[in-house]
Amino acid sequence: MKTLVVGLGNPILTDDGVGIYIVRALEARCRRDDVTFAEASVGGLRLLDVIAGYERVVLVDAIQTCDGKPGDIHRLHPNDLRASLHSGSTHDLSLTGALALGRGLGMVLPDNEAIVIIAIEVEDVLTFGETVTPAVAATIPCAVEAVLADLETGEP
Amino acid sequence: MRKISIDPITRLEGHGKIEIFLDEEGNVANAYLVVPELRGFEKFAEGRPVEEMPRITPRICGVCPEAHHMASAKACDAVYHVEVPPTGRKLREILYSAFYVADHTVHFYILGAPDFVLGPDAPPAERNILGLIHKVGLEIGGEVIRCRGMGMDIVGMLGGKTIHPVGALPGGVSKAINEEERAQIEAWGHELVGFGQFGLQLFHDVVLENKAYVDMILSDAYTTPMYYMGLVDERNLVNFYDGKVRVVDPEGNEFVKYAPDEYLDVIAEHVEPWTYLKFPYLKKVGWKGFVTGRDSGVYQATPLSRLNAADGMATPRAQEAYEHFYETMGGKPVHSTLATHWARLIEILYAAERIVELATDPEITDPHVRNIPTETPDEGIGIVEAPRGTLTHHYVTDERGIVQKCNLIVGTTNNYAPISISIKKAAQAMIKKGQVISEGLLDRVEMAFRSYDPCLGCATHTLPGQMPLEVLVRDGEGNVVERLTQFVE
Repeated sequence: MKTLVVGLGNPILTDDGVGIYIVRALEARCRRDDVTFAEASVGGLRLLDVIAGYERVVLVDAIQTCDGKPGDIHRLHPNDLRASLHSGSTHDLSLTGALALGRGLGMVLPDNEAIVIIAIEVEDVLTFGETVTPAVAATIPCAVEAVLADLETGEP
Repeated sequence: MRKISIDPITRLEGHGKIEIFLDEEGNVANAYLVVPELRGFEKFAEGRPVEEMPRITPRICGVCPEAHHMASAKACDAVYHVEVPPTGRKLREILYSAFYVADHTVHFYILGAPDFVLGPDAPPAERNILGLIHKVGLEIGGEVIRCRGMGMDIVGMLGGKTIHPVGALPGGVSKAINEEERAQIEAWGHELVGFGQFGLQLFHDVVLENKAYVDMILSDAYTTPMYYMGLVDERNLVNFYDGKVRVVDPEGNEFVKYAPDEYLDVIAEHVEPWTYLKFPYLKKVGWKGFVTGRDSGVYQATPLSRLNAADGMATPRAQEAYEHFYETMGGKPVHSTLATHWARLIEILYAAERIVELATDPEITDPHVRNIPTETPDEGIGIVEAPRGTLTHHYVTDERGIVQKCNLIVGTTNNYAPISISIKKAAQAMIKKGQVISEGLLDRVEMAFRSYDPCLGCATHTLPGQMPLEVLVRDGEGNVVERLTQFVE
């Protein structure tokens, strides 16, 4: 299955870069012709451009939820999101919105069921910095294994 | 004092929040937009080679990386005292114009237009891009996405990357274009001009032909006279990439025109205890609080203010649209916040025409696109018009070009005070003597700040064009007496 794994986030905003670091680690571990790795710091329509044409997409990103502890790993589908990660902004569409729009216009996009979001609960996304906080750093290897397992079983 | 909070429930990367304070009589006393501030960029930049800044600063913002790239490259040119060759400069401007088309298109069609085309009183669940496409047709929706894509393709062609361009370097750009690329840009440019004209026609047919919308645009709730800022060329015509910053007063007379390296003489920043954000204002007028008018140093930097601060547009079709705009709105300057959407469409047409102009310039395929810096670096300031307002980058380096100091005034920052004032005015129309007109309050307040297209560096959206908002009306003891929500489960 033509699969894209996208690390989302901003690598100069402390924990916000966690998705990108995970995808870099994955890329070093997984060499398969049917899996492509990418990094993006955008959401909405710009993200749509990135994922168009793939049958299955894994998005790896930072998240902050009300009761989450830094380092928690959430496994979500677009339907689980009221507002989506970095894909939401006052300027652009949310992930679910962008997907609905793209499909409405006939773009080739994976079904919501074929999009999985691995979201890492983070602590600080407002301070400029190139390293993640300790709890988030400790969870990166677990997240890498989780995505590798998904890719092996072919489960979206 | 009662307090009304309009607070997005979903907190992700931080959140924007609106606080409305009522006075003893139950009327709106003050309203503020509170947004999370990213911290520590100056420190982050210190100690880095200045030529890295055009690649680092686009990461500040996922919405307008191109604007930071360009302001940063221009600041680097100044740091190294290097002149960009004419073709390098023109290629930068093509990239920047293409970015404008794409960025303004997203704002107008996806965020702004649903309010108008479907109407502010349409059910919120329909008032979004999908509802818009349902109403205007799939074909037009496809055209919007296709034309935005063309803009981004030009950015990718000239910038090396679509998302975080790297093409501009101190002294010019990294790569010239060949005839084939030039012809492609020209062809796309012509299509974008047609698209720009289509947008203005749509606005005319759907908004201007509808008395209720025109009345709303002209209503007092959305009218805030203030100082207006925008970059202009040597003929005082709107320019996004280069020139001097011109500020006009609320009557439209030139108040000041300054070169980038004079910005600290003109702009100062006010600090409030309740937020990290700084509020820029005109130094010579002074900070008088969250009020507008001639005696208040509050200014705005938006598509509307750029048109107000200039004497016209540098391309023919955009100039026609500019004249029509002021004739219809009853002369210059225009003070109606909602007219910003119309101004944005005029800017799309200008940007598209400018792409064609530059792509047909005889020297555009000249291979000499960069002068290698030879001077000792020290200090430089670069200014461009970001879609959301005048963007200033200021770097000080040591003699090796290592950043010692860095100061940025980003687009939306210019508008924090005007946004708060606009929200206050919109809320005043909906809240009188303690009576909250709950129906439409959230929509009207949201419309007031949406026209500024604020870049909050945070996630406040759920479904297309819909913002989760919660309004809490509190009595003097802080008890919630009323709760209004939209898109909150």
